[in-house]
Amino acid sequence: MREFTESVLDAARAAGAEYADVRVLDTESRSLAVRNGATEGIESGASFGFGVRVITGGAWGFAASAEVTPEAAVRVARQAVAIAKASATVGAHRVSLADVAGFTDTWSGACVIDPLTVSTERCLEILLAADDAMRSVHGVSVARGEMSFLRSRKTFASTAGSFIEQSWVESSAGIVASAVAEGEAFNRSYPNSHGGGCYQGGWETVAALDLPGHAERVAREAVALLSAPECPSVTTTLILDGSQLALQVHESIGHPLELDRILGDEAAFAGTSWVAAGDLGSLHYGSDIVNVTADATIPGSLGSFGYDDEGVPAQRVPLVREGVLAGFLSSRESAAAIGLTSSGAMRADGWARTPLIRMTTVSLEPGDAGSLEELIADTKKGVYFETNDSWSIDDRRLNFQFGCEVAWEIENGRLGRMVRHPNYTGITPHFWGACDAVCSRDAWRVWGLDNCGKGEPMQVAHVAHGASPARFRDVQVGVGR
Amino acid sequence: MITTQSARELAHAAVQTALRAGATSAETIVFGNETALTRFANNRVHQNVASEDTELQVRAVIGDRIGVASTNRASGEGIRACCERAVDAARHSPADPDFPGLPAARPVEQPDRADATTLAFDATARATAVRAIVGECLERGLVAAGSVSTDHSVTAVANSLGVDAAMPTAMTRVTVLASGEDSASGWASFASRGAGGLDAAALGREAAELALRSAKPATLESGVYTVVLAPEAVADIAQFLGWYGAGAKTVAEGRSFMTGRLEQRLVSPLITLADDALDPSCPGLTFDYEGQPKQRTELIGRGVAIGPVTDSYWAVKTGRANTGHALPAPSRMGPIPLDLEFEAGDADVGAMIASVTRGVYVTRFHYVNISDPVRVELTGMTRDGTFLIENGALSHPVRNLRFTQSAIEALDATLAVSAARVRTGEDGRVLAPHLVLERFTFTGQTE
Repeated sequence: MREFTESVLDAARAAGAEYADVRVLDTESRSLAVRNGATEGIESGASFGFGVRVITGGAWGFAASAEVTPEAAVRVARQAVAIAKASATVGAHRVSLADVAGFTDTWSGACVIDPLTVSTERCLEILLAADDAMRSVHGVSVARGEMSFLRSRKTFASTAGSFIEQSWVESSAGIVASAVAEGEAFNRSYPNSHGGGCYQGGWETVAALDLPGHAERVAREAVALLSAPECPSVTTTLILDGSQLALQVHESIGHPLELDRILGDEAAFAGTSWVAAGDLGSLHYGSDIVNVTADATIPGSLGSFGYDDEGVPAQRVPLVREGVLAGFLSSRESAAAIGLTSSGAMRADGWARTPLIRMTTVSLEPGDAGSLEELIADTKKGVYFETNDSWSIDDRRLNFQFGCEVAWEIENGRLGRMVRHPNYTGITPHFWGACDAVCSRDAWRVWGLDNCGKGEPMQVAHVAHGASPARFRDVQVGVGR
Repeated sequence: MITTQSARELAHAAVQTALRAGATSAETIVFGNETALTRFANNRVHQNVASEDTELQVRAVIGDRIGVASTNRASGEGIRACCERAVDAARHSPADPDFPGLPAARPVEQPDRADATTLAFDATARATAVRAIVGECLERGLVAAGSVSTDHSVTAVANSLGVDAAMPTAMTRVTVLASGEDSASGWASFASRGAGGLDAAALGREAAELALRSAKPATLESGVYTVVLAPEAVADIAQFLGWYGAGAKTVAEGRSFMTGRLEQRLVSPLITLADDALDPSCPGLTFDYEGQPKQRTELIGRGVAIGPVTDSYWAVKTGRANTGHALPAPSRMGPIPLDLEFEAGDADVGAMIASVTRGVYVTRFHYVNISDPVRVELTGMTRDGTFLIENGALSHPVRNLRFTQSAIEALDATLAVSAARVRTGEDGRVLAPHLVLERFTFTGQTE
């Protein structure tokens, strides 16, 4: 592979590139889905190709092809340079990159049992057992289960002197019970919605979920939602479970602290940010118990790697420290624009895409509020929300609204009635400023998300968030009801 | 990029390979694509990309067992390996007694929807368009952002029962966001099979002038307002109706707004919503991913729920005709309408605004999501040009608003549909008019 990447870089230099990097990515995938006792799909995929990114005339160009041959190496490198030359005709700006050393290295993600070697029968045995258990509950209309696995091998080389080979495996699995009656439909999921639990790791991560063991509970909760009262429309104390809090962090902290958004590069599509680059070190993002980090080194997290797609080593960086803005997710270009070094957050979702600033594992660090049960016991009145159902946030990441699958009222430190259609809304700094308790490390875990959309053409990143349940005061819930 | 004929031949060859590998019947899809996109922001190009790929997907059938595999290694060995994976998956798959078998061939229109002007719109042409847009914004003291993209694709579908469909498609899409001080923000977009009709400077001017009008937005109390929705906002509503409620699987599972309400009036009689890939302006395929002809399918006709779209599986399962709306197998979503269009009304947009005593004009929505699929309750924000309408005119801009609103209830309160429609939405696949909706619930506002 080194011969191929060298030929790409040589061709780019010969065509006039001032900088070039090349990524070759080889992936294999498998997914299985069941629905109401039948197989809904068994599918495998394979994709192989390379992308070359260049700076010529102070401007970017990128080209990619599935044809990984010596001839294509030269053709695609020249194409990238020609595209960069066209970019350079718009405006006088010249790209400047923060320094990075050249690395020759290999990195592998944790994986005990290669999931692509596990038999279809074994996968289906678990999914169908969970499916049976869900459908054993009277009132369940549809039971679904799915597993998916992805193995990736990536080679990166750059004119900065790097040659880096990385490989990792991702596994995910989850179940959903749906109850439907008289114009109402409710889902309950385990261990999370939107595809279930997502991990960097092998079959061991999926086996540990014990999907059948949780199937009956989620089914009973789905059915119970049919007769549950509506979530009250009120301003109250809100406790979020870890999975919903992960998405709250994702939308209202992770995305707004992507430096490309802050600098305006995503303005027309995903939007900008309410945070300015000059706010570093002074902006009060939340209460003084809010500590947020971006960490690409957590074993088993979807947001982990050895090096990002610019050859920058994985890092752990603070984003919010005791409520004050402390850092950004950045690239070599965006960091240089404000006089920093890259936080190592550039990733592309495949060989055909140019890297963008993406979240790593962006986490709300654990607090000292103990367990979820202790936090609820410490709450006189409020609501407890669990498992994301829908999400929306404005183009500056200020006004958000989330819906969850289920909630329970809290009365005098105990969970009370289950309520349906729970949703809440807020404004980012006010919401995080009203955070007055975060559960402790024993309740903290990493939640993978494999559906983070950003950029044009759209890229879907696999990221993660560490979170434990947390409490927020004076939140508007039951919106539009 | 692979030619239409080569894609057709590859699809047929892969069917034979799958049969040799042990499939009793087989279906293949070949998808070749060349895409290029120039992104600009802060009056400069910050991303400029091009890629090409050809993917083969194989659905292997052994009796009533099914396996699917895909690859972009289109060599002989890559094709063979892909077919073997599909067959192996089928062998290990439990039987699906409801599987009706692969569909037989039916006559299919296969128009040439490539476009020479899109094919010729290269990096230099895209940069020229960006310069024209940026120039219009700079002239007005504004900052330009957006993208100029081209896409041309070839799709071929074949199966062992004689299905043989292939055609090229093309799309040029341009988006412009002009922004400036005092929260000025304006939007314009272009979507067409061809780049020939693109006037980049005019598009930049449209966004810039809207931005200047939207500066210094005021607050507005949450509440129920009459709204005038521009076509991009209308397209968002159409797509959520399509994705979450207009497929036969969704209806059968009880998760659709149509469930139990077929042939009943759901929304205003002014609303007719159909899926029509045969519309000459449509950029999409005229056949589905089973190679079946797409039928114009009325989902809502004069306010009445007519019926969902189907594919071969859900047509048999629900006793309806196959409308030709299959996604690539295995489709967990079931059949989906991808080429939605609202029937044109008879109203003039100016007259529509003039008819509103007090209301809100929405240029477009942002980050819309669904919170209740049966009611199609949507939440999202407005952006890039939200105005208060007072006494029949846009009186002043307002800060972006959050809405939480059932699409069905909103369309039931339709007061007018414009005669003019715009091709917009994802990949220009929605043909949308302006709508006046009497009651639309805004539940918050950004800061």
